[in-house]
Amino acid sequence: MNERALSFIRNVLAVAYKETMLLRRSPVVLGAVVAQPVIFICLFGFVLSSKPANVDWAVLDQSRSELSRRLIAEIQASGYFHPRREVDSYEEGITALKRGEVLALLVTPVELARDGAKGQAEVQILLDGADPIAAARVGGYMRAIAAAVDTSAGTATVSRTAGRPVEIRQRFWFNPTLADSHFLLVSLAGMLLTNLCLSVASFGLVSEREDGTWEQTLALPVSVVELVLGKLVPDVMLCYGVLALAIIGPGVAFGIWPAGSIPALVVLTLPFVLATLAVGVFISTIAESVAQSVFISVFAIMPSFVLSGVMMPYELMPMGPRWFGALAPLRWYQIGLRRIVARGGGFEDVLIPMLAVTVMFAGLLAMIRMRTKPRLG
Amino acid sequence: MRLSTLKTSARRLRTLMLREVRATLRDPFTLFVMITVPLGSLLAFGFIVSTEVHHIRLGVFDGSSSELSRRLVAELSATDTFDPVIFRSRLEVEEAMIGGDVGAAVVFPADFDRARLRGGVGDEAAQIQVFYDGAEPVLAGNAEASLRGIVESALAATAPNAEGAAIVRSNGIHATVRPVFNPTLDGRPYMVAGTFGFVLTFLTTLITAISIVNERLTGTYDQLQLTPATPLEILLGKMVPLGAVFSFDLLLMMLVAGVFLGTWPEGSALLFWLVATFYVATSLALGLVFSATSATAAEAVQKTVLSSIPLIQLSGFIYPVRSMPTVVGWVSQLIPATHFIEVSRAIYLRGEGIVDLWPEILIIVAMGIGLIAMALRTLESRA
Repeated sequence: MNERALSFIRNVLAVAYKETMLLRRSPVVLGAVVAQPVIFICLFGFVLSSKPANVDWAVLDQSRSELSRRLIAEIQASGYFHPRREVDSYEEGITALKRGEVLALLVTPVELARDGAKGQAEVQILLDGADPIAAARVGGYMRAIAAAVDTSAGTATVSRTAGRPVEIRQRFWFNPTLADSHFLLVSLAGMLLTNLCLSVASFGLVSEREDGTWEQTLALPVSVVELVLGKLVPDVMLCYGVLALAIIGPGVAFGIWPAGSIPALVVLTLPFVLATLAVGVFISTIAESVAQSVFISVFAIMPSFVLSGVMMPYELMPMGPRWFGALAPLRWYQIGLRRIVARGGGFEDVLIPMLAVTVMFAGLLAMIRMRTKPRLG
Repeated sequence: MRLSTLKTSARRLRTLMLREVRATLRDPFTLFVMITVPLGSLLAFGFIVSTEVHHIRLGVFDGSSSELSRRLVAELSATDTFDPVIFRSRLEVEEAMIGGDVGAAVVFPADFDRARLRGGVGDEAAQIQVFYDGAEPVLAGNAEASLRGIVESALAATAPNAEGAAIVRSNGIHATVRPVFNPTLDGRPYMVAGTFGFVLTFLTTLITAISIVNERLTGTYDQLQLTPATPLEILLGKMVPLGAVFSFDLLLMMLVAGVFLGTWPEGSALLFWLVATFYVATSLALGLVFSATSATAAEAVQKTVLSSIPLIQLSGFIYPVRSMPTVVGWVSQLIPATHFIEVSRAIYLRGEGIVDLWPEILIIVAMGIGLIAMALRTLESRA
């Protein structure tokens, strides 16, 4: 009995050793482990943001009053905008909008100053809806800036009498400046691990089959379970290495360290990594060549990035795509990541995501068994 | 003499093209990919951008249980933006926020009603505390705008002598915001127009790269080199049939985008189709360069996949070029996809015509000719 257990462990380690030697030379792994973390951290940390910046805008200032100049100066000073373009007519402004030269057009009416004195100042903002995300935000910013301009300056201050105003105090938790880089970097581990697991698993198996080494391995005096475990050990270790990179990188570069329980993160990662490796293995059982297998995994990565919510919040998607995205292990892992890393949660907060990826892993194993049985037999 | 060379050249070209069409159509996997990938991308990307918020779970702790606080909660649940969930203590709300169960939370302190009714200089104003889950910045930003709007208009409507809320508003400038085109700020057309750029770059490059490397593996590529066909003929023999297939694929995508996603081009569909078809040739040339410089299929695919990272991230497909740091913004101008996505959005969303777009189209054409020349040189040097 003891002898058996020893030989089992020895066999697993032997296969693991062989796999590690192979991995060391694989360009795919080098790309996924070395190049991608660096590229992703730079992109997410420095480059990508859906926050408007350098926005081109135009002003049709019909009022030409002290108040309108103050409003324009306030908007300009907010830092989101390029120097404004002055237009002389409504048509000119609309044409600029239609050509996509400006994103927003501010129109002040002739009677702005007069209405302002009465406390009824109104301006119009026209937006290029062709760029909906930027338009929605820029509209919001301009409206907020306008609302804060004090129209009663110089005249008597409005008396605060009957029925006190209710004050709304608001705060953004976890990410006070609402930075997109925070959102993207928190889920970095999920993206890197998906890329790594899918390429290692789908690539490795098919190329072995093409080279004929798969059949040779099957002829070895090791059982299938030992073989699979031996193949998994180095992959999983590699994944934990990448996880460490994905945590330390954003921490050192941007000060984004996990706020919650690290042990919970380590435990949650295991079923996720196994499930994603299983997806890769399943792909390689369908594919007939390396090219096909890589092709399928590339196009499996794409929708899982898009629909899982690592790049854009899945809560905003309509129900169909939203449910479809729930089939990707990455969806549940990123939910867990955000709970632990961003919001400081612990084990009890990630039980459901953990259960979901474990169930997926079990289901995929069953599917792989069904696909591989005839070939091995 | 010249005429007869031209004739044999044309005959050779026709043979090469026929061969390519047969090879492409015979492989069911390629066909499957060419149909499912564009359609899948359209459906996936079409939905990911939204500027609306609906059914955000809103944690509520009402410490005051006053008439006004109950009324505000009722107002918040009347819209389909928020689904209020009532908690019994502040601590429970905070725990729900950490667990990610609620996206925003409203807390009415115990003295909310008293502070509101107590008028007098120096007193603290009645407070509503609102906090948002900043871990989801897009969501939190959108939720903030709609929550403030609902609460403020509800306050204005419920205050007995209306003055309280009115004061807050009348002191600033009220801005009416109106989008031209796409009045509901629907994210779908924006993403659909970008998806064309993504598919036509990524898929075409990948398919060409794989097709040549496969030929290398089976040895037919070397046989091709032995035929009297010149590099230019081999290049055209690959590009024209694949280009035609993708150009048909493009029509299919336009139809699906229109029928299933309701996104038809605002401008000329013909202009879009022509520019896009030329753009396909550009990507095909890029695929040829990748494959001609790679030894194995794995290497060619690796190159294509690595090049897809800047393609997706820097071309403005999801995150706008305008928000990038200046230097990165310049780099993104060197990517053909950036220009194609711009043209695609201009035609699809703003309905611009050739008069407005010719400079951009010229850049695409110039880059395309450059890439085709590069592909030709790589083929010549390898022949």
